[in-house]
Amino acid sequence: MNRLRAIFLAPAAGFTVLLFLVPMSIIVGYSFLTRGVYGGVVSPWTFENYQRLFDPLYGVILWRSLVMSTAATLLCLLIAFPLALFIARAGARRKSVYLYLVILPFWTSFLVRTYAWMFLLRDSGLINSILLSLKVISEPLPLLYNETAVVVGLVYGYLPFAVLPLFSNLDRLDKNLLEAAADLGATPWQTIRRVVLPLCAPGLRAAGVLVFIPCLGAYLTPDLLGGGKSIMIGNLIQNQFTTARDWPFGSAISLALMALVMVLLMALLRRDGEEAL
Amino acid sequence: MKQSRFLPVFAGLVYAFLHVPLLILCAFSFNSSRFTIWEGFSLEWYRAMFSDSQLAEATWNSLVIALVSTFFATIIGTLCAYGLWKRNSKWLSGSLYLSLVTPEIVTGISLLALFQWIFRYWQVQLGMHTVILAHIAFAIAYVLLVVMARLRTAEPALEDAALDLGATEWQAFRLVTLPILKPGIAAAALLAFTVSFDDYVITSLVAGVDSETLPMVLYAMARRGANPVVSAISTVIFFGFGALILISERMQKNV
Amino acid sequence: MNRRAFTIGIAGLAGCAPRHARRLNVFNWSAYVAPETVPNFEKEHDVRVRYSIYESNEEMLARVFSGNSGWDVVFPTHYIVPPMREQGLLAELEHARLPNLKHIEPAFQHPVSDPQLQHAMPYMWNATGILYNKKVTPAPKRWADLWEPHWKGHLTMLDDPAEVIGAALRKLGYSLNSRDPIELRAAQQEAVRQKPLLRAYLNTEVRDQAVAGDVLGAQIWSTTAQQAIDASKDLAFVYPTDGFPLSLDCAVILRESPRQDVAHEFLNYLLEPPVNARIAETMRTATANGAARTLLSVATQQNQTLYPPPEVMARAEWFATVTPEAQRLRDRLWTEIKSA
Repeated sequence: MNRLRAIFLAPAAGFTVLLFLVPMSIIVGYSFLTRGVYGGVVSPWTFENYQRLFDPLYGVILWRSLVMSTAATLLCLLIAFPLALFIARAGARRKSVYLYLVILPFWTSFLVRTYAWMFLLRDSGLINSILLSLKVISEPLPLLYNETAVVVGLVYGYLPFAVLPLFSNLDRLDKNLLEAAADLGATPWQTIRRVVLPLCAPGLRAAGVLVFIPCLGAYLTPDLLGGGKSIMIGNLIQNQFTTARDWPFGSAISLALMALVMVLLMALLRRDGEEAL
Repeated sequence: MKQSRFLPVFAGLVYAFLHVPLLILCAFSFNSSRFTIWEGFSLEWYRAMFSDSQLAEATWNSLVIALVSTFFATIIGTLCAYGLWKRNSKWLSGSLYLSLVTPEIVTGISLLALFQWIFRYWQVQLGMHTVILAHIAFAIAYVLLVVMARLRTAEPALEDAALDLGATEWQAFRLVTLPILKPGIAAAALLAFTVSFDDYVITSLVAGVDSETLPMVLYAMARRGANPVVSAISTVIFFGFGALILISERMQKNV
Repeated sequence: MNRRAFTIGIAGLAGCAPRHARRLNVFNWSAYVAPETVPNFEKEHDVRVRYSIYESNEEMLARVFSGNSGWDVVFPTHYIVPPMREQGLLAELEHARLPNLKHIEPAFQHPVSDPQLQHAMPYMWNATGILYNKKVTPAPKRWADLWEPHWKGHLTMLDDPAEVIGAALRKLGYSLNSRDPIELRAAQQEAVRQKPLLRAYLNTEVRDQAVAGDVLGAQIWSTTAQQAIDASKDLAFVYPTDGFPLSLDCAVILRESPRQDVAHEFLNYLLEPPVNARIAETMRTATANGAARTLLSVATQQNQTLYPPPEVMARAEWFATVTPEAQRLRDRLWTEIKSA
């Protein structure tokens, strides 16, 4: 048994070590080195990159990322929960259609979906064109290139991530419990509040984490919809590795982000176990 | 239990939110004007799209990369899932799940750092091979996720029964478990293909001179401003993948 | 009809590769060659060119810096050439293979960044100024005018540290190439003060938005400005009275390139007066090639945006390569500006 298992696991182990663990160790190493004059890394080992993280300037970026991610996550949960409830209640045949309709945008390219919002929100985009032609406004509204646009883009991109775990949780809910609550005189709203919500707390937590973590590390959405002005951690990291050519600092930021992600994940796993994923 | 009207209406609005932006984009890809005023039906942006050789090459690259990485990632990931199902290996499954939640930007820069480091000793460059390696690496975790979920619903007792009846472990895997896994493997392959075809962040960092992909071209065009050709490309992608998923769902139902 | 074109195109692409044994990978600024420039070169010299574009020096440098990028010819701005040379990234130009070098205007034959033209071939030059929509009042005249509140949300600056910090330095009356940390810090703070007024930091991407009227003011290069003005009557361009930068974009051959001979052929081809003039005419670039300049149409030669008169040029200052410490500080300040 062990030999077969070892053979089966070998390729994955190889890839994991060579293309995940080793690169991450290189990044750890880089985070303690110094930047060469025009880029690259040179040897003085230093903590300076991590010290730089405490500069209030970067604290602002972290704060902004946390706030936007939280906003996007909460919105996703608020929207996803009733939707998941609706799908869970549907008949078996309709269920798969509804699910398909939720998943379909997810399978479409993320870039395409983000571009769709650029198309709608630009000054010469559809929303402004309609409002202008209806004479509701006289000047185009600056809907794009701000934090709200980024949050909308994040919600749009990650909503399916929230719907699916919530749905699977709600789907497994025992219908008898709901009937019992109704029999005892609870209104639909009371049933949801006192019976359904507590029972699908694990699903809510999973959905929340599944949305929050990608939002935190988002790069494309703030880049395209934020105009390069309201940058998030992901943009800062990309910047350090390309135009700023400060690999050590970029590595330090990356590791800080990873640490944050891991903390969140451990908290979730400890609470709900591996099935949550 | 009384069904309120609220839920269906709300659901309808959410579906509209999800689909209307894309449908509008598709509709305007047929607009003869490049502005958001409807001026007439036209296929000129599609014509422009098909005659763009850079776009054709990028699409070809994306397809090759996606097919190759899906092939390898699916095999490696499925075997890995099976191995882990038999007996877990904390470091391996931990690392793989960690790689799933690692932000794409971090994965991308770490791979770039790795490749730059290797290039100091070997005369290789960034190119299709680095992109494919990167894609296989992150797709394995997705395949693992899907196949594991499927494996959890499988009965270990079936394999034990086969072993009792004299089958080798390899035969037990091939003849008992593998057929059960088929729909899961198909779903995993589809997921891997989509994730690979759609990837921008990691690819843009590790791509070389010859490996421009469709998302990279799309990104460059999107950054330059309103471009109806992007709408045309988006429409093709949207309906293309929509059809692909529909077909795969049908196939899964028939299994 | 489209499907046939597509299939033929794909088949053609597949058949294309083996036929041309000679290849060349060129990485250039966007809108810096005429549509027929590269195809004509491919035909005349039997080479298959892979041509890709970038929007900023930093974007190019990030790719090329490793010394293993796969590109053969790139086009850095003159002040990037010395650092690239020091990093060992550049190949020496063999003047014997570049007979057309003689066509370069005397003024550009000995640029400070490379006096003997050992590594960099002058290509096109640029000045930075302000593109604005005529309906903006009062019309901007100096960099300081870009800090006025009325721009709110309709202003862009270049996504280029040297340019943004440079504009702030000029606004404060300091030299563009200042190395003084105090002056640079002050400039950084000015840039951060301006940020709330900005729509985005954009390079040539802003052209379409200016033409569409989304953007009312932009710090932009003269070439791009002229392209925008060609497309829209509402736009105008001004060279700031408080001084503005000049840059010379040069063609270099990367040392890593295994195709140095083909690269030299390409550079020589770009120096041919008719080819160069065609690029300058169609893409509205200001050429460093004297012979080509005489071939331009009268209207283009007298275009004040592309070829400013001497009294305007008196206010100009060439970008200089800064010392490593100053470069480090500038890069860090740029990160801080972008992050604020």
